[in-house]
Amino acid sequence: MQVNKINKWGEGLLWLLNPILIILAIYIDSSKSNRGIEWLGKLHPLLLHFPIVLGIVIVFYLVFLSHKRLELDLEKLLFTGNAVLATLVALFGLFLSKQDAYDKTIVDLHKWGGVAIALISWALLYIAYLKINWKRVIGIIYLIVLLFFTHKGAQLTHGEEVLAFPTSAPAVAQEINKVDSSLTVYEKAIAPIFEQKCVSCHGTEKVKGKLQLNTPEFIIKGGKEGNLLNSVNNKEALLLQRIHLPNADEKHMPPDGKLQLSLEELNLLNRWIKAGGDFKKKINELAKTDTLALLAMAYKAPKKGDNNNKTNAPDLSTFNTSYCTVNYSYYGSEEIFVDFFQGTFYKTESLKKLEPIKEKVVSLNMQGMPLTKEDISIISTFPNLRKLNLNYTQLTLNELSPIKNLLKLKNISICGIDLNPATLATFIEKSPFSIVHIWNNNATEKEYASLMANNQKTKIIIGDNLNDQILQLTSPIIEQDSSIIVTHLDVSLKHFMKGAIVRYTNDGSDPDSINSPIYTKKILITKSGILKTKAYKQGWHSSDITEKTFYKSEIHPDSIFLVTHPDKKYMGKGAKTLIDYELGEQNFSGGKWLAYKDSNMVFVTSFVEPKQLNKASFNAFIDMGAYIFPIISIKMEGSNDGKIFKYLNEATFPSLEKTNKFRGNKSFSCTFPKDKAYKFYRFTLLNVKKIPKWHPGKGKPAWIFVDELFLD
Amino acid sequence: MNEFLEHGLNQNRRKFLSKLSLGIGGLALGSLMVPGIFDASNEEDLFTNVLPHFAPKAKRIIYLFQNGAPSQLDLFDYKPLLQKMQGSELPASIRNGQRLTGMTANQAKFPLAGTKFNFSQHGSNGAWFSETLPHIASMADDLCIVKTMYTEAINHDPALTFFQTGSQVGNRPSMGSWISYGLGSENKNLPAFCVLLSKGKGNGQGVYSKLWNNGFLDSIHQGVQFSSGEEPVKYLTDPEFIKRTDKRVMLDEIAALNQESYNKIGDPEIVTKIQQYELAYRMQMAVPEITSLQNEPESIVKMYGPECLIPGTYAANCLLARKLSENGVRFVQLYHQGWDTHGNLPKELEGQCKDVDQSSAALIKDLKQRGLLDETLIIWGGEFGRTNYCQGALTKDNYGRDHHPKCFTIWMAGGGVKPGVFGETDDFGYNINSLPVHVHDFHATVMHLMGVDHERFTFKHQGRRYRLTDVAGKVINEIIS
Repeated sequence: MQVNKINKWGEGLLWLLNPILIILAIYIDSSKSNRGIEWLGKLHPLLLHFPIVLGIVIVFYLVFLSHKRLELDLEKLLFTGNAVLATLVALFGLFLSKQDAYDKTIVDLHKWGGVAIALISWALLYIAYLKINWKRVIGIIYLIVLLFFTHKGAQLTHGEEVLAFPTSAPAVAQEINKVDSSLTVYEKAIAPIFEQKCVSCHGTEKVKGKLQLNTPEFIIKGGKEGNLLNSVNNKEALLLQRIHLPNADEKHMPPDGKLQLSLEELNLLNRWIKAGGDFKKKINELAKTDTLALLAMAYKAPKKGDNNNKTNAPDLSTFNTSYCTVNYSYYGSEEIFVDFFQGTFYKTESLKKLEPIKEKVVSLNMQGMPLTKEDISIISTFPNLRKLNLNYTQLTLNELSPIKNLLKLKNISICGIDLNPATLATFIEKSPFSIVHIWNNNATEKEYASLMANNQKTKIIIGDNLNDQILQLTSPIIEQDSSIIVTHLDVSLKHFMKGAIVRYTNDGSDPDSINSPIYTKKILITKSGILKTKAYKQGWHSSDITEKTFYKSEIHPDSIFLVTHPDKKYMGKGAKTLIDYELGEQNFSGGKWLAYKDSNMVFVTSFVEPKQLNKASFNAFIDMGAYIFPIISIKMEGSNDGKIFKYLNEATFPSLEKTNKFRGNKSFSCTFPKDKAYKFYRFTLLNVKKIPKWHPGKGKPAWIFVDELFLD
Repeated sequence: MNEFLEHGLNQNRRKFLSKLSLGIGGLALGSLMVPGIFDASNEEDLFTNVLPHFAPKAKRIIYLFQNGAPSQLDLFDYKPLLQKMQGSELPASIRNGQRLTGMTANQAKFPLAGTKFNFSQHGSNGAWFSETLPHIASMADDLCIVKTMYTEAINHDPALTFFQTGSQVGNRPSMGSWISYGLGSENKNLPAFCVLLSKGKGNGQGVYSKLWNNGFLDSIHQGVQFSSGEEPVKYLTDPEFIKRTDKRVMLDEIAALNQESYNKIGDPEIVTKIQQYELAYRMQMAVPEITSLQNEPESIVKMYGPECLIPGTYAANCLLARKLSENGVRFVQLYHQGWDTHGNLPKELEGQCKDVDQSSAALIKDLKQRGLLDETLIIWGGEFGRTNYCQGALTKDNYGRDHHPKCFTIWMAGGGVKPGVFGETDDFGYNINSLPVHVHDFHATVMHLMGVDHERFTFKHQGRRYRLTDVAGKVINEIIS
């Protein structure tokens, strides 16, 4: 094949591969792994030295030999070949980065460096006609990029000190995890902590805040803020201050987002510094029971090479069920919270399932679970439990005693569990608890006062017990929406308090606790009247009275028609609205009301035979805020031919006072003269024509809302 | 220069296009090798898996929202100067050109109105409370009272929406939805976000479901509104003769069908639907047990007040909130309507306080005595404050107050907040003197208490990452214990 043709293919290949490279470089982290493609990654180390060498040759050519041009085809072959190789190497490199867990920051640098090298080497194809000096500059830049970023790659595989001058490695690194009491506390436990969680920023690589934590000399020297280990001015040692700040604090160490110190590690550092921060003291020189010695012996440093941003904590999803939630306190934490819900589904097996993680559980909520002795014996093997909720677990204090062995358990809730001052005293005696919640329906502070006074170590929370307080019951509820009796109405009375006695009257008198009947079953109401009801219970003040007026519609006109027309928005079902046995609702636009504003309400009822009437009552709605005022007057006229009406009676009613905020239904009635029967009756209802001055609608006519007529 | 060389180097259109075709092919091939690079979901999963960011101080929230804006000047923020200057004009230097609502902007005068109620100090921090809140005042040592909240909105809807979603315009997820999305449900048999409504007799403002909307989050995170009737969740009981095992079979079959159509269409709402059926199935068992208030001992009924047995009252909702919360519901949101006291304030305020005082205090006490207060955060407050001047006519014992966004009081208790009184307003109760707490700051702080860094907790939607705190908000460390 001609060189020319190879070049052409090569150039085409570059146009194909480079976009792939860019796309992959951006998205490689979020892509799913694919073994076939990742295998290609193994070609990265195989190929990578070719473009480096070619690249250096090209730089040499550009910088020193550009006045002596190669044959054009040959030059292009060199450039194309270099670019294709560089691109392939970068691509394979991306695949490789998926496979192994390398230090993320270096990988990222190397990745984008590789992409840059590939792109520059591709661009070199098109610089042939540039001036010589420009080519030299480009050559130099290319060289720098090439060397810097490939060196990053070398750091990944050969370690960060790949090209560093050999120094004596810190001796402690090899000693990690040996259980040997002849080691110093520092070697056994402290140095590994620094090694794992601090030296990546405070070491030889980076020396943030001028602080290095990799050798005792540097640690003693401290950083830019001075001494780390000694307390100055009665303040905690600087190191302790920093590690105990809240995570969100900028000065908290290790910084938020980096692998945090575990509780055990915090404890170790704390005790070591409090004991003087001694680098020479051997573990076996301390007393055998010394906490620092015990902690140091037990400490196992996590293995190196774990990604700083990820936790190695086991996945908890297998422990989670519909009735048991198991979570880390937060992402990266080693502490686990466990909550059980819905006692009906509780089985001891679900507690047993937690065996593998029991050392990490610090909070356990078993409220309302039907626990047995066996459950308690399991719980008492959770050594690091700090908070335990056993409210309403149907146990006795005696059965609970094994949990006293949990030395770290400080906060415990046993509400609803049967106890008395004597049993509680035994329970908290020699216990590790600092706070115990014992609220139940019977315990009172008085009863426990002496126990509380004698037990400063354990705080007993009894809470409020108001059994002796006498409060007023709420009023019973009358359950019947309608207040119009056609034939009869069933009325239920309701009270939500268990054991409350509901009494009632329907003769208008107030119910009392002796004579009024007790409500037991639905009340049948057949005639107009007021139902009054009241609730009673031992230990409570009796309730206020609830009442409801019922109307019996005794007489039903044969027909009814409106003379004046209601407002278009509130026409209800026309004239029939007045005799449909349905009362309007508080929401007055619900279509059950007839409303008038600009004219009086005038309508006529008719009977086939002349009918004698006693009283007409209207149900009207009042809502001052909505400009709905009471009916001012009712005028009634009678006729037998429907043409000439004779005045019968008129009733007038007061308008609203400014202070009257009543909103709701109200009845307005007018009586007929005795011993007169007519076929037709005409009713004229007047509204307020001018709203008084104190109202925002002063001067305008007010509304009347009417929905039902009762005749008897 | 050699002509041939020049020709070879020239990038003409034909050359460019022919090469470009290869380039586009390359792009396509590249995207094939990374399946799902256009899926946003991968990335978002990462956000949720790393929560909480740090050790949470509170595991659950009960938010007692006082809808309509209670008057801080008549409840917590005692200003004797206003009583002294009763009726005199609000100085322009204090108002400082503050925008007013349409309801009082045209008022000719702005007469200062001192509170009609007696104030007294309670607790070791000497917090002031008006006589209308005796029960809450008795819990003073547990309360973290922030007197210097401020907001941007001056009307109810935008202010409420701002408080609930971090934006005055609707369609963003509510606080509870964010919490549900970020932290998930503790109890898998109950929704992570429940909403309870009640109504006082005072002048009311609406509550609407957009306030507990999931916005752009998956609809499983929407707040579940409990009905205020006797059956908080309707249609939970199976029809007669339907066995639970039969129901299980039916749901499995439906889920299989839904899964099939999800595989075909790929609409994430289908997955949500499957989850919702499952949740409903489990709720059938859990809800009746939890929502039944009748089995509460009498002492508890007395603590919350006898009204707590009547469904739909604020007291009943407080009691229900405790039961939901102790059963692992992350976020219980109450709304109590009726605080919009533009006129007739003394009477309306007294009624509202009567509704909420005893039961709000009881909730704190009850959680405390069960050992749950340290992990539950209670928040009590409205959407803004009320003006120091009177709306409408000022008489000796009647006045009204308009909306005031520049300072108002909320209180919190429990999970990780420091008891005490924080922030100072000026003597007129109009401006903030120290420690201003913006709504965004409040959200940032609440998130912080739940172990969430509000700046790192985002959701990508329509090309942008959204947070509850938008692009603002700082954690108020002063109030964190």
